[in-house]
Amino acid sequence: MIDVSEYTKLYGDTVAVQSLSFHVAPGDVLGLVGPNGAGKTTTLRALAGILQPTSGRIEVAGIDLQKSPVAAKARLAFIPDEPQLFDYLTVTEHLQFVARLYGVHDAAPRIPTLLEELELTAKKDALPPELSRGMKQKLAIACGLLHRPAALLLDEPLTGLDPVGIRRMKETIAARAREGTAVILSSHLLHLVEELCTRLLVIRRGRMVAFGTIEDIVATRPELAGRSLEELFIALTGDEPATDITAS
Amino acid sequence: MNVDTSLAIEARQPAPARALLFLLWRSFANRLRSQVARVRSPRYIVAVILGALYLWWALFRNTRAGSAPLDSILRSDITAVLASTALLLSSARWWIFGADRSALAFTPSEVQFLFPAPISRRGLVHTKLLRMQLAIFVNTIIFSVIFRGNATQLATWERALGFWMLFSTLAMHRVGASIVRTSALEHGQAGRRRMLVPFAVFATLIGAVLYGLVVAIPALHVASAGGIKPLALAFTRALQAPVPDAALAPVQLLLDPIMRAGSAPWLISMLWAGLVVVGHYVWLVRLDSAFEEAAIEATQHRAERIQRFRASQMGQARSKKGKLVSVPTLALSGRPEVAIAWKNVVAALRGGSWKTQLVSFVVGLGVLAIASRQASDRAGDAFMGVALGWGAMLLFIGPLWMRFDLRLDLPRLAVLKTYPLEGWRIVLAEIAAVTVLHSITIWSLLTVPVVMFAQDPQLFLESGATVPILVSIVVGVPAFNALMFTIQNGTALLFPAWVRLGTESRGFETMGQNLLTTGATTLVAAVALVFPVGAGALVLWLANDWGGWAVLAATALASAIIVAELWPVMRWLGSVFEHIDVNEVATTS
Repeated sequence: MIDVSEYTKLYGDTVAVQSLSFHVAPGDVLGLVGPNGAGKTTTLRALAGILQPTSGRIEVAGIDLQKSPVAAKARLAFIPDEPQLFDYLTVTEHLQFVARLYGVHDAAPRIPTLLEELELTAKKDALPPELSRGMKQKLAIACGLLHRPAALLLDEPLTGLDPVGIRRMKETIAARAREGTAVILSSHLLHLVEELCTRLLVIRRGRMVAFGTIEDIVATRPELAGRSLEELFIALTGDEPATDITAS
Repeated sequence: MNVDTSLAIEARQPAPARALLFLLWRSFANRLRSQVARVRSPRYIVAVILGALYLWWALFRNTRAGSAPLDSILRSDITAVLASTALLLSSARWWIFGADRSALAFTPSEVQFLFPAPISRRGLVHTKLLRMQLAIFVNTIIFSVIFRGNATQLATWERALGFWMLFSTLAMHRVGASIVRTSALEHGQAGRRRMLVPFAVFATLIGAVLYGLVVAIPALHVASAGGIKPLALAFTRALQAPVPDAALAPVQLLLDPIMRAGSAPWLISMLWAGLVVVGHYVWLVRLDSAFEEAAIEATQHRAERIQRFRASQMGQARSKKGKLVSVPTLALSGRPEVAIAWKNVVAALRGGSWKTQLVSFVVGLGVLAIASRQASDRAGDAFMGVALGWGAMLLFIGPLWMRFDLRLDLPRLAVLKTYPLEGWRIVLAEIAAVTVLHSITIWSLLTVPVVMFAQDPQLFLESGATVPILVSIVVGVPAFNALMFTIQNGTALLFPAWVRLGTESRGFETMGQNLLTTGATTLVAAVALVFPVGAGALVLWLANDWGGWAVLAATALASAIIVAELWPVMRWLGSVFEHIDVNEVATTS
């Protein structure tokens, strides 16, 4: 569903991401983890068509993002860590706007369902400045889910949510994956990654240091067996020279 | 806490003033450095060269206001009286409608760092005033260069000082009005009591000016029969009567250092103007103390809420009763770019109160059209001329004010880029919405001829206005607006690091920059209009018909050529949009 091949992004002489290649199948939830400045957001933005890769190829649902960006973007949803909403549109109007933009044919019945699922029904006529941080995050996610994307890209999706909201959000993401959506989720919350993700992509300084299931990764570093994901993360992204651990 | 510890803390007491100065200076220096760093990019280099040439031409080569005709205008009684009245009435809007929201707003970073810091609200207001000084200095330089020359026997620095005092006072007045209004809104009865005195003083001044005009209505009626010049003279005489003259005196004191001839009278006028400046400063500081007392129990959370309220761009989205401003419904299916245009229309209706302003504008125009025509035929013609001039001015300045387009949306560029639309469609939708809105605004000026035609069709047609000319205006305005908004949006797309994004308008202190921007935009538009205007003129020349339907044919042809010119530009801007780096915009938003 999402195919990334030799993706590289340079800013001048600075290498933000180097030769990243991976595949996310329908129903997979890929956890994109790495320390601050590792290149996670740059990678997600490239996958969303926001940034142009310096080299390499990105395909979404078999469509080349560089050659056919419009067709590829129609199958994508990107939810940034900071919700970017329009101050003048109400919650419902945001969804109507997205419906028209993405040509969602069954938007009329789908909008109330999504509002209910994300507990936004009571706020359907509110403007973004009248919403809490968590509510804004839910609205951004509702907008992303409305057109049933084939690939869902989430950057720190739980920021600002209360415990009940976190639980609901995890259920929402898992439900989309069960429906066949390919999900890439970037987060520093390792327990979330552990709970939701079927595979991990660990990057450090723009380079892949591990890719696969936790079992795959541990298989290539037996000394990490039995360790928590946090310890695994520290071992993989610490200052010592990283050994490439990539599986499947 | 023992004595030693408390002494140690006391010894480490912060120095807020120095910290604020450091913040202002470093912010300015770092912003300048990052903007200069952009010059390494080829398109910014080209822009710098063209900009430097333009500034040289506009400020040093092209204008020399010290020449006799302009100087006599500057020093005439009519200018002094009308300018002071315009300034007084202009500042009245800050009291009646509220100063623009940026007058007191602090950035989120300032709220985070300054509000919890041991800095008094007075210190914060000083920060705001100091920050305004940068724009005031730039504005002062621009106007001093424009009005340079020695015909009035004033050195450039003398006039510059006069401009600085004028702009500083206006900026302080704006902040003061904003504090008073906010205080009244936030502190109920106590706030309203505090608002009473300044509001009463200001209302008295406005009332005195209006009284002078009402008393002079018979004289104005007689003068209106003679045309614009006798009418302007009658206005001047009416405003020079003792009562309105006394009300206008504080504003005239501020204008005097700019208009005085000779250094000795200038020095005296400076002393008087200085009193007005100091008076404003003292008023502001005292006012602020009152505000601080009232807000003493306010928590940090509350301060942030007030800040959000001030900084919010949706202040007018709901009525006082909380009802949301109604907007057109968006059909859920159809061309996707319509959704973007619709979103911008909603922003104009909810954020800019566009519909309310338009209705007030149309009603006001209608009333004035009826009143002027009833006063006399000449007065009616004169008002028609004013409406035409107003429309022409709006064509050029409107695109600077109305910013519900890419200038509103570029801070959310990352989101725009995820939309499943080609770049040129997004750019087209952004420009189309604001073009339509601004065209409707300008069309609303046609209220004047329509009302006058309804009053007396024969007289209207004798004035030279013809139906083909009016229809031509309807046809030509959208094409011209599309051109002007394309220039504004193109500039924002090409130089996002240099262009101010967002919809907030700014105060008097940026008038000079706006003047230069309008000049530059007009120059670019002039180049784009060479072919359309040339082709239209050719049609008129061939038809030898300057008031009939050939005018409409010429306008239609010119409009079609403008659209043909804009088409490849739109495709190119779409490509620029697709390739623009989000980080380039992020640093400016």
